[in-house]
Amino acid sequence: MAKPKIVVTGSGAVCAAGMDPAAVLASVRSGKTSVAPIRQWDTTGWPTHDAGEVADFNARALVEDRKLHKLIRRTDLFGLYAAGRAIASSGILAHRDQLDDATVAAYNDRTGVYVGSGGGNYQNQYDYFPLMTTARGSLPAFGEELANTVNPMWLLRTLPNNVLGHIGIQHRLKGPNACITNHSVGGTLAVIEATEALRNGEADRAVAVGHDAPIEPQMVLYYQRMGLIASSALLPFDARHDGSLFGEGAGALMLETEASAAERGVTPLGEILGGGYACEAEGLVAIRDDGDGVARAITAALEDAELRPSDVGMIVAHANGTQQSDISEAAAIRSVFGTGSNAPPVTGFKWAFGHLIAAAGIVDMTIALAALAIDEVPALATLGDVDPACAGLAISSKPQKPRNKVALIICRGFAGTNAALLLRGS
Amino acid sequence: MSKRRVAITGIGLVTPVGNDVASTWDALLAGRSGGAPITIFDASGFPVRIAAEVKGFRSDVIGDRKLLKFTTRSHRFALAAADQALADARIRPTAEDATRWGCAVGAGMMTSEYDDLTVTHDYSALEGELDAAKLLTDPAANDPMIFCRSQATAGISLITKRYGIRGYATSVHTACASGGQALGTGLKLIRRGAADRVLAGGFDSMISPIGIGGFCLLFDATRNGFLLGEGAGFLVLEEWESARKRGAKIYAELAGDGNSLSSYRITDSPPDGDGPIQSMRASLADAGVMPSEVDYLNAHGTSTGMNDRSETAATRAVFGDHVDKVSVSSTKSSMGHLIAAAGAVEVVVCALAIDRGEMPVNANYKTPDPDCNLNLIVGAPRRQRVRVAMSNSFGFGGSNSSVVLRHPEEVDGKPGQTH
Repeated sequence: MAKPKIVVTGSGAVCAAGMDPAAVLASVRSGKTSVAPIRQWDTTGWPTHDAGEVADFNARALVEDRKLHKLIRRTDLFGLYAAGRAIASSGILAHRDQLDDATVAAYNDRTGVYVGSGGGNYQNQYDYFPLMTTARGSLPAFGEELANTVNPMWLLRTLPNNVLGHIGIQHRLKGPNACITNHSVGGTLAVIEATEALRNGEADRAVAVGHDAPIEPQMVLYYQRMGLIASSALLPFDARHDGSLFGEGAGALMLETEASAAERGVTPLGEILGGGYACEAEGLVAIRDDGDGVARAITAALEDAELRPSDVGMIVAHANGTQQSDISEAAAIRSVFGTGSNAPPVTGFKWAFGHLIAAAGIVDMTIALAALAIDEVPALATLGDVDPACAGLAISSKPQKPRNKVALIICRGFAGTNAALLLRGS
Repeated sequence: MSKRRVAITGIGLVTPVGNDVASTWDALLAGRSGGAPITIFDASGFPVRIAAEVKGFRSDVIGDRKLLKFTTRSHRFALAAADQALADARIRPTAEDATRWGCAVGAGMMTSEYDDLTVTHDYSALEGELDAAKLLTDPAANDPMIFCRSQATAGISLITKRYGIRGYATSVHTACASGGQALGTGLKLIRRGAADRVLAGGFDSMISPIGIGGFCLLFDATRNGFLLGEGAGFLVLEEWESARKRGAKIYAELAGDGNSLSSYRITDSPPDGDGPIQSMRASLADAGVMPSEVDYLNAHGTSTGMNDRSETAATRAVFGDHVDKVSVSSTKSSMGHLIAAAGAVEVVVCALAIDRGEMPVNANYKTPDPDCNLNLIVGAPRRQRVRVAMSNSFGFGGSNSSVVLRHPEEVDGKPGQTH
């Protein structure tokens, strides 16, 4: 039985490398990284200094409504911005404006919102620090002074599902929804679950978003102490790879059934072909050396899409630059695709703007769609000598040609989670 | 094409009225309240000094001290409830089928705990503002245990490792709707064949100076009714035929899931019930159930005025003429509001209502509100065969989750326990 076709009709992205997918792709193709010294705090004396911060961060440019800024966090600004761009570029709002009231209500009820959110952060809790200073360790004093010291909207700012709720309010979307707080695979799972909802007839269209802003002192320090942060640069699959570096931002895709897109006569940017998922169950940070979870996720995605490995035209690897992840990911790619001359070209984008955590997979999808449109597998520009343990992948410091329009996007997160998504570009 | 059906074959609870299913159920039938003065911390100076705490919980039921270092209070509730659910279902993942097991949880929104935050305040922010340079030697900011337990995926990492679940594992958060959405996710994973069995549930604890503080700041301190609870609820979900084949006891079919966005305000649904109406209708349609087949509604029922009115309006709109035949109770009246755990715990309550043929009371109901004119179960629990039950959970952010459960006999004519 054929699965209903799900098409992509809009996309949005924001990260250190640009404010939309085309700009991000152009930056990636330039071969220059947007990872730079951290500006949010003074890293003098710190063991790490660099991250992919959104340049010239401007809250008003991301979300116009200034009143909203008090109710949401930095990560939410990114999510709302990217979602807004994906929704607007799809043309569904202009189309809705032409419908009569009863049809509009049904249209809104049939439009879903699926979000991958980074969840909580540490900085937000620092809102309690002035109160703790006042209370001097006395809880009764903490309770008494609470209302005089802490932002009354603190709890609302803390909600991990703010992007979901505010997308709904801003654009009057009321259909099925999810907020997935699943670390780095959150954004990819948002696409997978939105696709399933559309296939299942729960909605006719849905926006999928992933957003995160992990660049804060306590988060960076924890990752550094856990051995996950690069000493100088993020160098995936390179012999010198020794860790990852954070980025921040968001990505979004507007997904629709074929019928919904045809109603407006739009030409889709691409198609979601299938997704797969697997957990390794080794604990929060531990992963297997053999790439078992990655390989199972890829295999599941191929089965879901009813494709063979030879049907894949390019691979956007997770490529986060930590030795353990790169080596096990390479093992998984080799096990599914082999090492022959027919193996699809492999690239990765994190070297260019950092690891976006919950936004990582979905931003990769927006870039992959843009890259397929110009028939290019962007170079892994940082690649020097390949780590022998990562040998056998078709990776290059030069641009390559995709074998066809099908891209595989691989995404890995804490708790041993692995997601894989197959899409077709235009 | 017939859908794969989903059976509930194991349940586990840690709630403010009992640390297991049996004791919680007794308390819910009796309408005993879990509310009491807060003991976890000195709340004497707080605008709210009452909450529904889990009482007499022994962490040693879940294991050794080494494991406990990686857990927060809510994780310990989660592991205890998940242990109960798996033991009740008499099945666990094996090396052969681990990849066919999934896990879907609604996890709370708290990051670091108050005690850990205090360490960082005293070391790196004594004057009220963080000094990033001090953080480098801050004991809390260098403690990997604190890092591990403060991550949003800490819960699924503990659970998947403990039981060896190697399929689809996911953590969701839509505030008070989280638990319901996690169960909906579990249902869909089995239906679409991504898993054959799913351990699904929710866990939360916001009874802390930070959590209670957050609610006090947001709500007018004089506002009545909102009782914050804590705890966990877990269920074992199984593909129906395989559950029957192994002779599992089936509490109920997890039959339908519906969710919608109110897109009205972050904290409220509109008075006309728009939003909840769509989630309730979607869950009935998903289950293939007529409104007239529903005998029990476990209401979201936070007892905040706006929510209760909105939910009443939605219930009347969805059930129409049948509405007076639907028995309604909000078990939050006993347990308090378990936030991210609420939906999962209340689906367990619905499963028990079907299995036992008895519906728990709406406790503390004294003065009828004309805006909330539903067939409430007041005074004593109601003994009646429950064909279909619905559980509502509506969250901050506007996510609405409705879950529908069906009596096993309504599915295949056989009782839940076949031998």
